[in-house]
Amino acid sequence: MNVPSVILKSTLLSASIFWIIVMSEDFNLDMIPFIFFSFIPISLCCLITILFTITPFFWLKKMNMSNNEVYKKWFPYYAIICFSLCFYGVIKSNFNIYPISFLASAFFTTMQSWIWFAKANNAQ
Amino acid sequence: MKNIPLLIGAILFSTLFYRQGIGLNLSLFSLLTICILFIYNKTAFTKKSTILFSTVFLITAGAVFIYKSNLSIIANVATFITLIGHVTEQKSSVYINWINGLYSSIAGYFHRNFNDIEKDKKVVLKRKIDYLHLIKIIGIPLVTLVIFISLYKNGNPLFSDLISKIDFSFINMQWLLVTTLGYYLLNNISKPVRVDPATTHDLNTLNSLEKRGEIEIEQLKKENQLGFILIALLNVLILLFLITDITYLVSTTDLRASVFSNQVHNGINTLIASIIIAIIIILYFFRGNLNFYKNNKNLKTVAYIWIILNIILVINIAIKDYQYIYYFGFTYKRIGVLVYLLLTIIGLFTTTIKVKQIKNFWYLFRVNTLTAFTILIITSTINWDNYITYYNLNHAKSMDFDYLINLSDNNTFLLKDYIDKNNLNVEKELAVERKHKEYLLELENNKWQEIQYDNFKIK
Repeated sequence: MNVPSVILKSTLLSASIFWIIVMSEDFNLDMIPFIFFSFIPISLCCLITILFTITPFFWLKKMNMSNNEVYKKWFPYYAIICFSLCFYGVIKSNFNIYPISFLASAFFTTMQSWIWFAKANNAQ
Repeated sequence: MKNIPLLIGAILFSTLFYRQGIGLNLSLFSLLTICILFIYNKTAFTKKSTILFSTVFLITAGAVFIYKSNLSIIANVATFITLIGHVTEQKSSVYINWINGLYSSIAGYFHRNFNDIEKDKKVVLKRKIDYLHLIKIIGIPLVTLVIFISLYKNGNPLFSDLISKIDFSFINMQWLLVTTLGYYLLNNISKPVRVDPATTHDLNTLNSLEKRGEIEIEQLKKENQLGFILIALLNVLILLFLITDITYLVSTTDLRASVFSNQVHNGINTLIASIIIAIIIILYFFRGNLNFYKNNKNLKTVAYIWIILNIILVINIAIKDYQYIYYFGFTYKRIGVLVYLLLTIIGLFTTTIKVKQIKNFWYLFRVNTLTAFTILIITSTINWDNYITYYNLNHAKSMDFDYLINLSDNNTFLLKDYIDKNNLNVEKELAVERKHKEYLLELENNKWQEIQYDNFKIK
């Protein structure tokens, strides 16, 4: 599993989703430096989320289980729980744009990260 | 070509929901969902059960348009998920439909994307290179351009003026995002996916219990004795509780709301604990070969008696709740108690069938989840606020008028009619008038997407 590569790709995807949603509300060229600075906290969030919530499924799998099987067995429940938490957060935030951006990027990035991990294994 | 219905659907989705409240749009979206499901899953719609679920979905959509209550919206969403799950696998249980439906709705695209990779790695590899190239030729120049524009903007006022004159306000980014979200949702549900191994396990699990290995008479005899003594003692205990409770119910003359409230809510707490423990104990003793043990008649008899006593406990609380309603009118909590009691009676009835006909745990789970879902659908078609208001104004011995005012707008016309025909104190009349005016204003300001049945009443 190439964890650093997945974290890098996740950071790019997450930052893109986050800033696209934020910019849909208000776009200003002065925001550009913040976009670059935001890569630091976003990469940290991706690192923590991926290391603590996705990689354990692949690291703690049984020896005779392929990553493909891990994906098929656990991804649906992970997706349902992740969506429920994000949706709850969006409702609790009273549909504020920043929490929506954060939670939407978190949801889609984690979903795609699962595919990257499962795909990486298939290629091995 | 095959994506055209999804694209049209996505544009309709944003037209219906972008910056709109709930109303006609949810009902129209329900129709759109059925159309999309039908276009991509014609074989599923040859089954009667799929047509039945679609009809139920449309009924809840109609309830949203007519009442726009939270319950009808919840029922509509629950039926949406159930229908999607049912299209995935028509033979599975309702709770598997929920899992499949929810999973398909939120991550169907990712699931299919992964399966495509599995099926045809070469094609996907080619696509991956294409995407990467596309990102490079669009993303890198775009990002570089934006960085340099922001740098030059600060260095030259004329350039800064020129840049500030560029106006992209005609592009509504949020509308585009809502359309993308609509496309994602419709794409997810167009070809629903199934969660395995849960679905396969459900399809392979029958309702009946089968003998496990050889029957060990001595061990079953001991278990039978333990079960009999335990349930018999619990029967004595619940009987004692019922006798004291009924005696108190008959002898009490205290008609304060707080007393009724305490009795009903304490009763409900007792009932919840009692029923859960009852079902767990029954499930434990009747989990395996004890069902096939010849001398288990006594154990079955005490189990039936216990179920009957629990039903009497339910009836006892129902009577208390009825008295509470008779004297102090309906509230959502009091209706909730009645719904819970109904579910409990059905739960106890299905437990009896489980013991009598030697069914397994999955039978109980399947039947009871389906019952709960059916009750949710039925209750969502009732205009509760209107019904509560009508009953409390006309039949209850006493009532809390402020509670009625704080209910949703579904009772506004009824309250207005009531104050027009009756003399109430000025404070209450003003509160109703304010509620009525605000509701009329809200109805008048509704856009076509937010229209509801009450809009036609005021014209």
